[in-house]
Amino acid sequence: MNRLIVKLTSVMTLAAAVTFPIPSVAASEWPADTVKLIVPYSPGGTTDIVSRKVADLLKEELGNVVVENRPGAGSTVATGQLARGGRDADHTILMASPGHAIGAAIYPGLRYDPVEDFRFIRNVISIPNVMVVPASSAYNSLAEFVEAARNGEVTFSSPGVGSSVHMSGELFKTMTGANMIHVPFRGSGEALPALLAGDVDVAFENMPTVLPHIKSGKLKALAVTTTKRSPFLPDVPTVAEAGSDFGLAGYKTSAWFGLITHKSMPDDAVLKLRTSVADVMAGESFKSFLPQLGAEPGEEDGEVFRTFVAEEVVKWDGVAQQANVKK
Amino acid sequence: MENFSEVLSIFLSVDNFIAIAAGVLIGVVVGAIPGLTATMAVALALPFTFSMEPVTAILLLVGIYKGGMYGGSITAILIRTPGSPASACTLLDGYPLAQQGHAKKALKAALYSSCVADVISNVALIFFAAYLAKIALNFGPPEYFWLICFSLTIIISISGDSIVKGLIAAGLGIIVSNIGLDAVYGSQRLTFDNYNLMDRISFVPLLIGLFAIPEIIEFYTSKVVPHVRSAVSGASLTLAECKRSLKSVIRGSLIGVIIGAIPGTGATAAAFISYSEAKRNSPNKHNFGKGEVEGVAAAEAGNNGVAGATLIPLLSLGIPGDVITAIILGAFMIHGLTPGPVLFQENLSLVYALFCGILLSSVVLLVVGNAAIRYFSLIADIPKAILLPIVLMFCVYGAYAVNNSTFDIGLMMVFGLLGFVFNRTGIAAAPFLIGFILGPMFEDNLRRTLLISKGDPLVFFRGPIAWFFIALTVASLLFAVRRYWKSRKVPATA
Repeated sequence: MNRLIVKLTSVMTLAAAVTFPIPSVAASEWPADTVKLIVPYSPGGTTDIVSRKVADLLKEELGNVVVENRPGAGSTVATGQLARGGRDADHTILMASPGHAIGAAIYPGLRYDPVEDFRFIRNVISIPNVMVVPASSAYNSLAEFVEAARNGEVTFSSPGVGSSVHMSGELFKTMTGANMIHVPFRGSGEALPALLAGDVDVAFENMPTVLPHIKSGKLKALAVTTTKRSPFLPDVPTVAEAGSDFGLAGYKTSAWFGLITHKSMPDDAVLKLRTSVADVMAGESFKSFLPQLGAEPGEEDGEVFRTFVAEEVVKWDGVAQQANVKK
Repeated sequence: MENFSEVLSIFLSVDNFIAIAAGVLIGVVVGAIPGLTATMAVALALPFTFSMEPVTAILLLVGIYKGGMYGGSITAILIRTPGSPASACTLLDGYPLAQQGHAKKALKAALYSSCVADVISNVALIFFAAYLAKIALNFGPPEYFWLICFSLTIIISISGDSIVKGLIAAGLGIIVSNIGLDAVYGSQRLTFDNYNLMDRISFVPLLIGLFAIPEIIEFYTSKVVPHVRSAVSGASLTLAECKRSLKSVIRGSLIGVIIGAIPGTGATAAAFISYSEAKRNSPNKHNFGKGEVEGVAAAEAGNNGVAGATLIPLLSLGIPGDVITAIILGAFMIHGLTPGPVLFQENLSLVYALFCGILLSSVVLLVVGNAAIRYFSLIADIPKAILLPIVLMFCVYGAYAVNNSTFDIGLMMVFGLLGFVFNRTGIAAAPFLIGFILGPMFEDNLRRTLLISKGDPLVFFRGPIAWFFIALTVASLLFAVRRYWKSRKVPATA
């Protein structure tokens, strides 16, 4: 009972902390102040859940870490603010996701460069997308699906234009030349029923959204979108594996969540962040958190992460142009 | 009976009771503060539930959800500032009642109808979840389309004195709702290359601007200071008023349950549909919008009926109907539980313990709500010259807090001016809101329907649910035409 009271008090303290950040005493070592973790999306989404968990674990390493949600225009409003820098820039980190690269491809007039204007700490979490069809669907394999989609027309759903789920479908479409019509919904909560009921033919949904339905037999998983099979669906092939005959050999997408900072972040701070994040990721608490999201630890660190994001930007820019998603 | 004792052993823990009480309390307070939404509170509380027992964790979040649903009505009634979008409908009659010195009456009507709706919604969750979930799954884009068509007909009944003015307001609402990126192609609409406008106009600044700001401008521009009687000494709800509203409350609760069980429609629409149905069927229909207890009760029944029912698709199918249930789904998954049919097979005792807690939360809402009324109704006694600057401060904070965006403060001011113009020209603001909410849903589902059918319009008539809503839409329109005709024939004497 006492534990609960402590927790509730901390909910309120956190709420207060978000509203009125308390300046802490300057110390010689970074961080000298409260570290702010910006979530460029609304509360409640996967990015938010992941960020709050990471912030919680980072507290042990960095002292006070507060999460601030700053949604708007994909993730580009918050990212643009980070790129501009400002007073707290040396204590601000941001949880970037595929939206960071896709946003750069589809939002016009961005005043920042998604790669050059930032320093890249580490990719923390990677979640595969799964190519799923309703249980009632006639397609039992990726090959059957592509054959049908090349000869006829099929529909694929997504939680919105420019989401990683949408763009994974568009990438599939451009690589195979299948006739696929995009049906956008607003959020997975609306998209999922249409898929379960068979109103749309296929989706490239995030693993945690569809995993329970695959296990209960309501959806059939045809492939996972990463280059390696997922430990959660060991029998399901990768898209690249199952679709090598259809031009899908290089197919690779995932929902990734990684930390970035303003480009002026000093070296010692970046180093401290990298070691702290690595420590967090080595901890039991983090490891036990991953399976609940169907997630795997992110691999890309530092410069490798920068290259990874740069590749993502190029990839999605090409897909967005081919798919005629407006810029 | 072994299961029964297991259920009790999970449910009967002090932690659970504290979680429910704390959740409802946090929800009511947060819901009552404009700009702090129940969604934010649930998201903030989520990380703290990681280390709790699963049932305790979920009950805390559900408590916040339910408390927030009611809490939003408090400021809507007292200062015409809806704490949450779903309570925008409550102020249509709640605020006039408060102005007439009946704040207490309005708050009690809101609370009691919320609690009744909550119980009905919980009972539906417990006994009819499987059946309602089946309906929800049969609700594809064409069925949504007709549901939205029907919902649009409520503009007729909330337009005030002039349907033409109502339609103008609704049309403006639809135009404003178009700002942002196109849902299918991602092309820009009315954004003027401003990135703040690309994600559509946010709801909270619009809501606060439209309803709260005009009151403040009116106060400083009008020379006559309205005399407001003390609210605390004002009469409480009478038994006759309760009896009169009961039918509307039950009808509203059922509307809330149906809308709640279907993912993606939301409590705001449920509140307005319930209100409009109550108005159409009430013998006091002429008093609606001028301070009618039944109107407050119907609106609150509609939005609280949704609260329990949104858990239906979540628990039985694993589908979250709105942002809050999406967070609750996250909480389930963090604890290694998967909502859906599997949950009922593998963790039945846990599900029933959860149901016990949810039923209890309705009682807690009654107790916490009653206490809240006692303190919050004091607000109505504060002289306006002192109260309104404070309200304005909350408005600015509320508009800012949702997205941490100063642009939204400017938006709030713009909608404040629009609301003021509406007030002075006798245009009702509610149809604007309905247009703003339903316009995009109408367009989205129309386009989605034609996308899934590859352009074949016959899909609009594909099944009984579609026909049911077509019939309701037609009936609602015919009813309105008939009433209009009658009013033309008999020149108004009263």
